[in-house]
Amino acid sequence: MSEATTEKLILAVPSKGRLMEETANLLARGGLKLARAGNERGYRGEVQGLAGVEVAFVSASEIADLLRKGEVHLGVTGEDLVRDLIPDAETEVEFLRPLGFGHADVVVAVPDFWIDVSTMSDLEEAALLYRRRHGARMRVATKYRTLTRMFFAGHRYGGEPRAVDTVTMYRIVESLGATEGAPAAGLAELIVDITSTGSTLKANGLRILDDGVILKSQANLVLGKRAPWSEAQLALKDDILRCLEKSGTD
Amino acid sequence: MEPLTTPSGTPMSSRWIEAHGRQSTIITSIFARAGFEPIAPPVIQPADLFLDLIGEDLRARTYVFTDPDGAELCLRPDLTIPTTRLYLDRFGDTGQPARLSYNGVVFRYQRGGGSLARPREFTQAGIESFAPENPEQAEAEILALSAESIRAAGLRAFTFRAGDLGIFEALLGAIDMPDRWRTQLRHHFWHHAAFRRQLQKLMKPEEFGRALAEPLFQAIEAARRGSIRHGDAVVDLERHLEAQGLAVSGTRTLDEIAWQLEGLAADLKSPPLDPRAALLLDAYIKLSTPARAATDGIRALLKGTSIDIEPALIRFEERLRLAAQEGIDIADAPFSGGFGRQFEYYTGFVFEILSPLLGEEAPLAGGGRYDRLLEAVGARQPFAAVGSAIHTDRLLLAVRGGRP
Repeated sequence: MSEATTEKLILAVPSKGRLMEETANLLARGGLKLARAGNERGYRGEVQGLAGVEVAFVSASEIADLLRKGEVHLGVTGEDLVRDLIPDAETEVEFLRPLGFGHADVVVAVPDFWIDVSTMSDLEEAALLYRRRHGARMRVATKYRTLTRMFFAGHRYGGEPRAVDTVTMYRIVESLGATEGAPAAGLAELIVDITSTGSTLKANGLRILDDGVILKSQANLVLGKRAPWSEAQLALKDDILRCLEKSGTD
Repeated sequence: MEPLTTPSGTPMSSRWIEAHGRQSTIITSIFARAGFEPIAPPVIQPADLFLDLIGEDLRARTYVFTDPDGAELCLRPDLTIPTTRLYLDRFGDTGQPARLSYNGVVFRYQRGGGSLARPREFTQAGIESFAPENPEQAEAEILALSAESIRAAGLRAFTFRAGDLGIFEALLGAIDMPDRWRTQLRHHFWHHAAFRRQLQKLMKPEEFGRALAEPLFQAIEAARRGSIRHGDAVVDLERHLEAQGLAVSGTRTLDEIAWQLEGLAADLKSPPLDPRAALLLDAYIKLSTPARAATDGIRALLKGTSIDIEPALIRFEERLRLAAQEGIDIADAPFSGGFGRQFEYYTGFVFEILSPLLGEEAPLAGGGRYDRLLEAVGARQPFAAVGSAIHTDRLLLAVRGGRP
């Protein structure tokens, strides 16, 4: 790798879908154009109008991992994905700016007919009885292992620390797709998943607990603290932030 | 030069390995002389059992995996549970006294791969006494053997800390409240913030009550009072859900939901937890005093109440006396009411042995009384059991003054 390349700031952007389009639109409004190198399917690119930035197009879920390892300087990805991959995210990354798109709530949802369960505290009680009756723990289907574990253990994202109810009598079953169908299919008793309008949950006979919103997530510009940062790269980061400010998000 | 360590944090110099081997021989021969039979339980254990019986902290640090048959397994994070299973396999429900010992590796996830004081795989040398004829005597003996082993390994400076879940249990039993609340508080003992929050709730049950639709509420109330059968309330619940268009699916039954609703209805009718009782429980959890002053400290808390837990307090005093007879003076050791180690299977006296070098966060040894564990792994009734395990890698580190 040449000197010039190592001095470049690497910005990871989702490689496809709405997150990619919204990121491009946002930069465009601030006067910068996201361009792929070579053909349409290229995985490398640049920001026209900002020499020194190299763009890596990768899947949104991989961006958090690249940030953690310091393999990219900046990344556009959902706060949910970052916090789930990195338990104490603040030590490894910095959330520079929420971007105003990719909104999704990570929530705890139970079957709607559980009319005895509307809070985390109810859930723990129901889970204690369930354990005695079935000889097994209630299963939580989710792809968010860390967020689930931390939230159930009493950690709350954002806001003031306060007394909260913990849930301990459960176990996680990994679900990589169609999580909301797991309870009806008998694969889990409840779920932790993302929802934007709540209509998918409803269609599957699920209801969000009153105190069951784990994280109100959206796409963020995130900085990887382990990446090698030179003066020039820090200046480029400020340029990108100024561009985002100009495009009027917050 | 950086000390050589394995990725798990265990040092791998030949000098360390030899020293660790010599230390193991010293400790296991002390156990053998005291009549503990060596056993070697399997490293791979069923995951569910462990996840149920260990605390939240360790639960998140257990290596769990699925094998090609689809079985959920784990690398043992502790040896007490595998030893208890082995005892049950061998002796079943006979209540046969047995003294077993082990010297084997356990596995616990550590952030960033582990360190010398907190390796992610390490050796535990331990002893467990099942169904002893005199449990308090067994506690004193196990405490003494742990201390003797540490001394024989070459460490002079170490201290104890102690707690007693038996006193907490006695307190809980002596305070007037529904059994349901006792179960909740017992469950929250290891999570002090949650425990305190539960106390606050029980002082104001009406704030946490649930409004139920009228015909269903009548049925639940009637079932709670016993004027109709529980099964009839379940039928009412089913009718209610149908009218509301709520589909029933999955493994959780209407029967369980009806029980929970009856419990919630009962909370609404119960007199709130007496604020003095709540204060007392909170004060006990916070109590921190030298062990010799613990029982009088608790008596002072109980002064002016009608609560009598003398038998539990006398047992604790007897324990200090027995330990002294065994040559272990723990009268000056700090006692904490809220101290229960991070294992939810403990039911009585608990202790840890600490070194000044590694501190409270990395105890050299720990153990205590766990009378419900045999039942939890499959016995038909509870039996007394008490045990202790030494973290031998930490012990060697302390003996060598922190040098790997």
